[in-house]
Amino acid sequence: MLSQLERSEDNRQEINLKSLVFICAVIIAFIVLILRLLQLQYFEHEVNFKRAEENRIRKINIKANRGYILDRNGVVLVRNRPSYQISLLYSQLKSREDRDSVFNRLLRITDTEGKRLLDSSALAFSFERGRWQRFRFQRLIEDASQEIVALFEERSEELPGIEILVESRRDYPFGSQGGHIFGYTSEISEQELKLPQNEHYVMGDRIGKKGLEFTYEREFRGENGLKFVEVNALGREIRTMTEMPSIKAISGNSIVTTIDWNLQQIAETSIPEDFKGAVVALNPQNGEIYAMVSKPSLDPNIFSLEKRELHRAWASVALDTAKPLTNRAISGLYPPGSVFKVITAAAGLENNVFTEHSRYKTPCLGGFRFGNRYARCWHAGGHGTLNILDALKVSCNVFFYQAGLDIGNRRIGEMARKFGYGAALGVDIPGERFGTVIDSASYEKWFERRGWKWSRGEILNISVGQGAITVTPLQQTAMVGALATGNGLYKPHFLKRVTSPDGKVLKEYKPEKISDGALSESTRKAVLKGLDLAVNAPGGTARRAIVPGIRVGGKTGSAENPHGDKTHAWFVAVAPLEEPVIAVGVVLENAGGGGAMAAPIAQKILNAYFHPNSSQAAK
Amino acid sequence: MKKIDWLFMIALFALIGIGIMLVYSATSNTELVWHKTEWFKQITHFAAGFAIAAVVILLPAKFWKNIAWVTYAISIITLFLVIDFGHVSKGAGRWLEIGGFRFQPSEFAKIAYLLTSSLWLSKHSVSIERPKTLLVPALLFIVPFALVLKQPNLGTSLVFVAITLVHFYWAGFRLVDLFLLVSPVASVILSATSALYWSLLIICVFFTSIKFKFPIWIIATVMILGIGAGYVSQMAWNTMAEHQKSRILTFIDPTRDPKGEGYQVIQSQIAIGSGGMFGKGFGEGSQTNLAFLPEEHTDFIFSVLGEQFGFVGASVVLVLFFVLLWRSIMICRLHSDKFANLVVAGSCAIFFFHIFVNIAMTVGFMPVTGLPLPFLSYGGSFVLTCMILVGLLVNMRLKGGDIK
Repeated sequence: MLSQLERSEDNRQEINLKSLVFICAVIIAFIVLILRLLQLQYFEHEVNFKRAEENRIRKINIKANRGYILDRNGVVLVRNRPSYQISLLYSQLKSREDRDSVFNRLLRITDTEGKRLLDSSALAFSFERGRWQRFRFQRLIEDASQEIVALFEERSEELPGIEILVESRRDYPFGSQGGHIFGYTSEISEQELKLPQNEHYVMGDRIGKKGLEFTYEREFRGENGLKFVEVNALGREIRTMTEMPSIKAISGNSIVTTIDWNLQQIAETSIPEDFKGAVVALNPQNGEIYAMVSKPSLDPNIFSLEKRELHRAWASVALDTAKPLTNRAISGLYPPGSVFKVITAAAGLENNVFTEHSRYKTPCLGGFRFGNRYARCWHAGGHGTLNILDALKVSCNVFFYQAGLDIGNRRIGEMARKFGYGAALGVDIPGERFGTVIDSASYEKWFERRGWKWSRGEILNISVGQGAITVTPLQQTAMVGALATGNGLYKPHFLKRVTSPDGKVLKEYKPEKISDGALSESTRKAVLKGLDLAVNAPGGTARRAIVPGIRVGGKTGSAENPHGDKTHAWFVAVAPLEEPVIAVGVVLENAGGGGAMAAPIAQKILNAYFHPNSSQAAK
Repeated sequence: MKKIDWLFMIALFALIGIGIMLVYSATSNTELVWHKTEWFKQITHFAAGFAIAAVVILLPAKFWKNIAWVTYAISIITLFLVIDFGHVSKGAGRWLEIGGFRFQPSEFAKIAYLLTSSLWLSKHSVSIERPKTLLVPALLFIVPFALVLKQPNLGTSLVFVAITLVHFYWAGFRLVDLFLLVSPVASVILSATSALYWSLLIICVFFTSIKFKFPIWIIATVMILGIGAGYVSQMAWNTMAEHQKSRILTFIDPTRDPKGEGYQVIQSQIAIGSGGMFGKGFGEGSQTNLAFLPEEHTDFIFSVLGEQFGFVGASVVLVLFFVLLWRSIMICRLHSDKFANLVVAGSCAIFFFHIFVNIAMTVGFMPVTGLPLPFLSYGGSFVLTCMILVGLLVNMRLKGGDIK
């Protein structure tokens, strides 16, 4: 008992001693540190202070270069340009006199016309912000022109703390051409910054907002870098600090698109001035889009402009009643008009409602009586009795009224859906709308508020592409293409491949079939014959689409609509009929007849596609 | 006796307050909304830390004895996981992500090892003359040490060495025993730098062991180990990775590489030195504000302090650290329970090692080891570790007497 107590007492003393040793070790270590601090902060203070003052090392965030957009032949469609920002670094202004003199000198700077570049209230605001964020650049002039940059370069000696920063902005060298495809970029908003998928962005980064810029943002973006540079007294970069850790910016990947820039330009210019509408040209064999135009056009360059100019330009496009912001090729919903007769014809043939040679007994005398309603044909003189081929050739409504009643709405709808109507095709730019293919139940739901009830008479409208059915120009073009090839409906797309900045192919787009579009060979042949007659036979509606040396098939449409007196002019075409490799769709809003207005545009595109040299010469 | 130690508490809260202020100053330059900023996150780290510390304090002291082996097993498993699935950051796989929550297993391994080693050594004393007594403690040490070293995280792995040395000291070693224990390691380091120092060391070891009348077989073993280690290290050297070599070389000689990691140390010295006696004022440091240091809010927070608050500010912080360590180690004098004393001594060893190595690094005595400064540096896992240790210290102070 005693020995145990003794042992515990021994142990106590040992621990007390060891605690003392430990605390002595701490004291010695801390004294060493304090002596070192004294050396650095007292005896060597002057030297260190001077070195800190002269230490002009800056951390620079390097924005990654955004990837380019190229056409299928390598033409650069979207690139970057340098943009100069005149900025203030408040911490460089050491004294009150410095600040006042710089402020006043800035106010006195005028452009060649004698106008002040900076107004005093905005400048005072920037200085005030600089006081709180002394080590952050305050932007005084955004996206300054070369002349303004030169003005500031000349005066750099007398303007300490004013620095010219370079950033890269998007440049669309072809202006508004292709603007709806490319989309645009703008500074990331605070709401977008909060999204989890945007955690790699910081305030001031630019992000794709529409079109390909939006869809392939991840490819274009790259990775921002970081470097430390030494600057001189005027804030000019002298050298990069190789001894400091730096992160190289990784340029974004480029996108080679399926666009054929030659066709795109022809499509852009072939639409007459002041018309609204859309053009689509694609390869029905794999869904590659060659050209897509929406008028009125939009110049994406405005989104790279300085803020005030951007607001002005934005207001003018946003308030324009012609809606230039809308990409009509994918977001414009139109009644398909007589183009839809292709679907009605296919539905009738496929379901053996009629054959290639059967004729309806009731002849076309310019109209058709159904109950107490008299539905007109577009040709008041009438077409007489016709078979399906001639009906397609002359686009006779009366034939299709009767055919529609025999086929029934359900079977027409089935055929329409099979070729992509009523559902999104999945094109790789945002904003696609998909229109309606309506059955009796959804018709009543749709028009419930107006109190409309489905009646068989509605089939009369639908069978000729009027009434409660809407499509986009892209759907219309994809449909006729898929129907003509018989190989199925491919997802229309712009992406051909993704390439790294040094040109290596990273990803190759694989065509994707979204519907097999199965049709019996006889049906397909018959419909193609109808399309052939419409273009190439005397008396066809689409004679203006003839391309020398190539058999073009086409279908016109003149869709009635509530928005104007004149009909929407439709035309879709495929060529060559033996083995179609291109499908073109054109719609012009309130332009009149499809054969007269839309067919010549498609003809120009087809001609350029098949005879590229002659069309270039003509241009 | 069971009263709260107000001196300890004042030092603790003062350090935490200063730390958050410095993190704010070092990171106020970034363009983030306030709830994403480092200083705000640091406050939430400490809020969580205090909650955990409270739990640690409220649990009975015996609980820590019972849970020691479990924590050890878990930390070894997580350290293994991090080797395979670690989230690689800056070339070192140290992070483990569980349910969106990232943490460093090496941080929690410190505590697990502290508890387990305390438990074992509270029941078994160690002596250099009876090597069998060293077997289990050495095994306990070597597993987490090797796993952390493999990450590779040299700084943190050395924390395990610090705990072990203090624990051996507490459990029966004399200072001279510790000297003989570390002599082979010192031999490895010195053999790489200078043949002169190395031979001096070997001679010193020889005469010390004679003087303290160690048995002949110990003298023989230590001498063979010392000389052998010197040769083996030369061979091992050739198999090491380049960055490991450079780490080890600069660890011995910080000025060896003035343009690489040494550059940060030099910039840090300029920052501290330019602060002078009273500093440039809160938020005024040009060195720190121009962001010359990539880790200024974590590893180099002390240079922010030195630049903005000068010698006076830095000294105040050192005094606060001293008070913290002094009041902590004095807990050993309150109770005679060995487990409690070992936990206290080990915690103090962790804090002391971190404080000294970190500050020595910023003033240019040591290269960049990546060891943060307790209560001042930014970082979630490390804040939690520190607050758990604080909880353990308070727990042992209040309840260490009634473990049996």
